[in-house]
Amino acid sequence: MTITIQRGEVVEVARGSQRRRAVPGMGLLDSLGVVWKHWRESFRQNRDFSDIHGTFTEQYPDERPNLPEAYRNMPILLFDDETGHEFCTSCFQCQRICPPQVIHMTQAKDTTTGKAVPSVAEFIIEYDACMSCGFCAEVCPFDAIKMDHHFELSTSDHASLTVHKQELNRPVSYYQSIAPTLWEEAKAGAYKKLQGNIKRRPDVIGIAPHLVDRIAARRAELAAAAAAAPPPPPTAPAAPPAAAPPAEARKLTPEEKAAKLAAIKAANTAKQSGATPAETPPAAAELSPAEAKAAKLAAIRAANTAKQAGTVPAAEVPPAPVDEKAAKLAAIRAANAAKQAGTAPAAEVPPAEPAPVDEKAAKLAAIRAANAAKKAAAEDNETERN
Amino acid sequence: MLKTEELQINIGPQHPSTHGVFRMIVTVDGETITDLKPVFGYLHRNHEQIAEQNTYLQNMPYTDRLDYFNSMANNQAYAMAIEKMVGIEVPERAEYLRVMMVELTRILNHAGALGFLINDMGMWQTQLAFGMREREKILDLFESASGARLMCNYFRFGGVVRDLPPDFIPRLKELLQAMPAFVDELERLLRENEILMQRAEGIGILPRDLALAYSVSGPVLRGSGIPYDVRKAEPYSVYDRFDFDVPVGTVGDVYDRFLVRIEEMRQSRRILEQVLEQLPDAQGGHINPKARQNVRPPVGDVYARIESPKGELGFYLVSDGSGKPYRYKVRAPSFINLTPLGDMCRGYKVADVVVILGSIDIVMGEVDR
Ligand code: SF4
Ligand code: SF4
Repeated sequence: MTITIQRGEVVEVARGSQRRRAVPGMGLLDSLGVVWKHWRESFRQNRDFSDIHGTFTEQYPDERPNLPEAYRNMPILLFDDETGHEFCTSCFQCQRICPPQVIHMTQAKDTTTGKAVPSVAEFIIEYDACMSCGFCAEVCPFDAIKMDHHFELSTSDHASLTVHKQELNRPVSYYQSIAPTLWEEAKAGAYKKLQGNIKRRPDVIGIAPHLVDRIAARRAELAAAAAAAPPPPPTAPAAPPAAAPPAEARKLTPEEKAAKLAAIKAANTAKQSGATPAETPPAAAELSPAEAKAAKLAAIRAANTAKQAGTVPAAEVPPAPVDEKAAKLAAIRAANAAKQAGTAPAAEVPPAEPAPVDEKAAKLAAIRAANAAKKAAAEDNETERN
Repeated sequence: MLKTEELQINIGPQHPSTHGVFRMIVTVDGETITDLKPVFGYLHRNHEQIAEQNTYLQNMPYTDRLDYFNSMANNQAYAMAIEKMVGIEVPERAEYLRVMMVELTRILNHAGALGFLINDMGMWQTQLAFGMREREKILDLFESASGARLMCNYFRFGGVVRDLPPDFIPRLKELLQAMPAFVDELERLLRENEILMQRAEGIGILPRDLALAYSVSGPVLRGSGIPYDVRKAEPYSVYDRFDFDVPVGTVGDVYDRFLVRIEEMRQSRRILEQVLEQLPDAQGGHINPKARQNVRPPVGDVYARIESPKGELGFYLVSDGSGKPYRYKVRAPSFINLTPLGDMCRGYKVADVVVILGSIDIVMGEVDR
């Protein structure tokens, strides 16, 4: 019987040849030759894909496995290094797609109005039942959940495998270090969406919990500094040259850009109005002597903070979760802090307000700066009285 | 002849040579087997029932866990079933990527299966280690493309989840360079090895008509001399564009199945070379951008099958128009190939049982589901 098939033929496999079998033991000798060759080569490390001899072994744990970027183990949540804002908006996509249904979350609510906020209050993944399918990372429209490379999860404490938001949170810089090209692809979109969501997150909602205190403190500090800080020109160059390059190398987020723009506009307005910005804040002229004194005091303090931010970054910045990155991060933060110290009045403008109306915005910024200075002065007075 | 009393013994379910938890109730007359009854179900995980609770996409990672050696092949069969049901077009490039992955799977499956077979014969782990060495390279490739070594979950409806990383093709080329040496060495090591021939020749014969009657498939069927290969009989994906042969055995014993697998590795390599040739010209991305993953197939049923390394793997799905399958059935090659075990073993010695079982190449995850 012959069978014809397309593009190929049916071949009958050849069973052992008669000639060889006439000499018993030939096949065995052949086999021993192969085994001998492998044995001899087994003292050689060889990870060449085109070779079939030598040992292929990775000496784990002395040698860390070289994991590809796409490697997926367990999901983690990302937050932004600088603002502490989590990318997750609790859109429930990942919870819905998860095949074994191990993701659970609750949406954050505005404490004053009780309205839902695009942020997550609690996020739980049962690592013990997660099948590492990677669907959650795939569907997340905000690039908030990603697959980690960390695989040494074995523990005798079963309960610890129900992982909460606190332990799931990782800074973006960590994910960037394990999957640079994947993050490069996702980055722009992720940050764009995050900026949009931050606007709808009042107060400290959406900030990684372990950073809330630090960030709140830092914000207050910045606000105080900003209140009386002289306009940008003198403070911006105050950033030491060492810290400046990373700040420049880093792309500005849209928010920062807007802030910077508003600040420049405010400065221009001030210049136009005739005041010398380097010496007195434009609004300070109308202040009473006591207020002026307080404002001056605040200005000095702000300058000090800015200086500190520039010169002792490590002391100033909260320790970043990823150690190796900490130094670099601190430098970037310091530079930002210095910059923000100058631009903060504009940053205080609620982002919801339309920035592009130039003149109006500039004026507004100027008024705000004045008000903030006044407020700071009043506060200072209060402390003096106390 | 001296007549001895027949004895019923259990092999398994916990036995190192049963490839999982599998029990055989063996009736022996002395050393000779007079009857063998396979008992399945020790690894039952309710796979099909779970699948009916899940959405169509959610089942994709579950199919990985059927035949955990060949997750890529399982993915393909399942994805094909959905694509057929919903009518999703798969871009050319995605098809090539799929074929590439499944042929790599075939090589690693056979390298492993032959290693285990020899292991069952008592050659301990020598050949297994050599086979695993090659398998490791393929798993490295899988890991770099899909993110996981075994549970790849790489296929999506309308394509694959992401395109190849930049270093994939060069490494694959290197691997293919090593393949002929590996297969030749395997042949040199075993094909004429007197010990293997003693243990394999004329053992566990599955005659043609019996093979057909049991509807076995894959290397077991081809070992019995029937040139049936779904890739040829009903070309799916882009298999009609490749030249490759279908190796068949003549006797249908353990030795033939062994030789068929060796030859299939060579043919898979041939296909991979052609894939590499044609891939750069292939049109379309790695996935059809219009394909929805959240599918709701129209009411109806579908059967899609592929030639998985172990045989014909099919998915039968019934849709009631909702987002979840109404019925989900797997035609698992391991399971069906295992059913003639009793007939294959009758008349041979107890020591042959593990060899015959090894030559069928089963994965209990697929048998019991
Ligand atoms: S992790 Fe992503 S998909 Fe899940 S709720 Fe948050 S934003 Fe949505
Ligand atoms: S990886 Fe898969 S199983 Fe694990 S949490 Fe994400 S979706 Fe669920």
